[in-house]
Amino acid sequence: MPRYRHLIPVIILAAGVMLFGFSPADASPSSQTATTATPTFDPSRLSQPPTVYPPSQADNGAQVYWGMCMDCHGDRGQGLTGEWLDSYPPEERDCWQSGCHGSDAPANSFAIPETGVPALAGPGALSRFPNAFELYAFIRENMPLFPPGSLTSEEAWSLAAHVLRLNGRQLGDFALSETNGSAIPMHRDVALPGSEFPGGLALAGVLLLAAFGLALWPGQAAGPPAQAARPGFVHHLHPPGIPAAQSRFRYTLGAGGLAVFLSLILLVTGLLEMYFYVPTPERAAVSVETLTTLVPFGNLVRNLHYWSAQFLVIVMTVHLLRVALTGAYAPPRRFNYLLGLLVFILLLDFTGYVLRWDEGIRWALVVGTNLLKTVPVIGEGLYRFVIGGAEPGLAALTRFYAWHIFGLTLGAAVLVIWHAFRVRRDGGIAVPPPDQRLERLRLTRSELLRREVLAMLIAGAALLVFSLLVPAPIGPPITNAGAISGDSQAPWFFLWVQQLLKLGDPFLCGVLTPVLVVVFLGALPYLLPNAKSGELGRWFPSGNRAAQALTALIVLAVLVLTVLGAVTGQ
Amino acid sequence: MKRMSRREFLRQVTNFLFGLAGLLGLGGLARYFSFQTDPGPPTEFDLGPVAAYPPGITALRPEVPALIRNDGSGIVAFSLACTHLGCTVEANEDGFTCPCHGSRYDRDGMVLQGPARESLRRLRVEILEDETLRLFTDGGRP
Repeated sequence: MPRYRHLIPVIILAAGVMLFGFSPADASPSSQTATTATPTFDPSRLSQPPTVYPPSQADNGAQVYWGMCMDCHGDRGQGLTGEWLDSYPPEERDCWQSGCHGSDAPANSFAIPETGVPALAGPGALSRFPNAFELYAFIRENMPLFPPGSLTSEEAWSLAAHVLRLNGRQLGDFALSETNGSAIPMHRDVALPGSEFPGGLALAGVLLLAAFGLALWPGQAAGPPAQAARPGFVHHLHPPGIPAAQSRFRYTLGAGGLAVFLSLILLVTGLLEMYFYVPTPERAAVSVETLTTLVPFGNLVRNLHYWSAQFLVIVMTVHLLRVALTGAYAPPRRFNYLLGLLVFILLLDFTGYVLRWDEGIRWALVVGTNLLKTVPVIGEGLYRFVIGGAEPGLAALTRFYAWHIFGLTLGAAVLVIWHAFRVRRDGGIAVPPPDQRLERLRLTRSELLRREVLAMLIAGAALLVFSLLVPAPIGPPITNAGAISGDSQAPWFFLWVQQLLKLGDPFLCGVLTPVLVVVFLGALPYLLPNAKSGELGRWFPSGNRAAQALTALIVLAVLVLTVLGAVTGQ
Repeated sequence: MKRMSRREFLRQVTNFLFGLAGLLGLGGLARYFSFQTDPGPPTEFDLGPVAAYPPGITALRPEVPALIRNDGSGIVAFSLACTHLGCTVEANEDGFTCPCHGSRYDRDGMVLQGPARESLRRLRVEILEDETLRLFTDGGRP
């Protein structure tokens, strides 16, 4: 085990100490004097801790502690007290004078600081470490004294668990790690919540049963109802009934409605997260870890928020592609197409990603904001406007927070409502004129609602199960030392931009190219031939073949770049 | 018993399931909000060596907040939180006055004038082995 080679001197030293000091029963004269000098020390305290199966993290830590830490820190974490020094033979009780660990320590040994060895347990011990992660980071970087930094992260975490147990914190089979350590306070007990699975699965099951009930409900499609008075604003957002031709899943893929549903989930879960999130650089990552580790169902709420956002990006892309590949943006829907594109860009949002303020976002934040500086003329000003200072800090986090909670939400709400309103104003989802439709029926209000609720129930149950199974990423808090190197990958929906950035000039590749892609998509209905009204409502109409081909080309390029970025980034 | 139509049966079952889902969600929410992020305030305070509290002395501890007094018969401590709605009362010559709603207490913390109805809380003080004084804010009503 080459990993441990540098520890051999320590082990030999420890073994020597044990031979001389720990076995008074040996009949040699020197150890007999040791026995008479230490009549009060119980030698059984020096024996290896019993092995437990299955071992908890703290049990593993106890073994590591016994092998590496106990000689100086004591069997109970009491530190190098006089009482603990009594376990050593008399001539070795002054570590500084005996020559082993004084300032003139030999090359294969180390000096013990003149200030002594601190206690790890008891009143006032380790008071400068507020949580398990900070204790872990200190151990990992500084312990053992000879040589510092030689522990694996697994060993350091197990030692942190052992030290927590020495201080009376009982964690049972909970395993400390980078994703939860800062949520566990050092100096007070917290209750660990039970599993989220029973509650979450029960809710998903009830939703699916309700969906089953709704699916058995006999469908009701009726003829065209007499159009009442001029429909109001709310009727524009949700019509009392629509032509059946506009509600074909194979045409719409349900993407627009699903996007609205996911946005609503984001709104609710985001509101819930606000009750525990603390937007300061010191507390942000800790508060997120507290939410996911200690708050009952907090992990589920955060996963729902995270995965809704990820799926929303996918669903919005599908929606955009559907509209482009069916030519549905043809006049009179050109303006609403631009509105939708604006929602899409607004919600490709970077701020939610940054609010974690952990090691995982560190480099993405630096790169993403420095990219602003590359914009000619206004770059510096833009950077300071977004960051609120010379480099990302409290001001930047406050701005991202304010934007994410209020600016983004309000902006998206206005645009989404406007977008939905315009759908109705433009005559509903794009289909051929009434006399050219294959399906002449209209859906009644109850039938429309039934289909919508059914889709929401199925999507909600699927999202719930996914969020129960797949955790959203979270890293350790950003430490100034920078000893723990963070993830340097962009969020997945910006991987293609990250890959472009490797090609050359940051402004051309990272700013101008993505902007041009968006401008080109927006210009499709204005520059290229559009589908005829008779061929609307189906995929790949012949009228806008050129636009379809170019859109497909862009999608292909973005996909290839994303895959390249994901592969080379590993 | 009236025979229920298939449609009516489905409607009632589905409504029941919606209600059940809502109840489950509400239960989860209640548990979610039950979590307490902040540790409570400390319940023990070190007041320093006993020798610093000779007979006749009165000391204020605004961080508790409490008043420690040695009348000669021993050291007593009063919580300065008004028993009405928790404002910190002001100590004066003949007792305590609350600045918020005007409750008054005598030197022993007994109510002289409302709206407070209960006397000021007496806090437990203990002399530790090392001759220092420790104040406990939990329990301790005499």
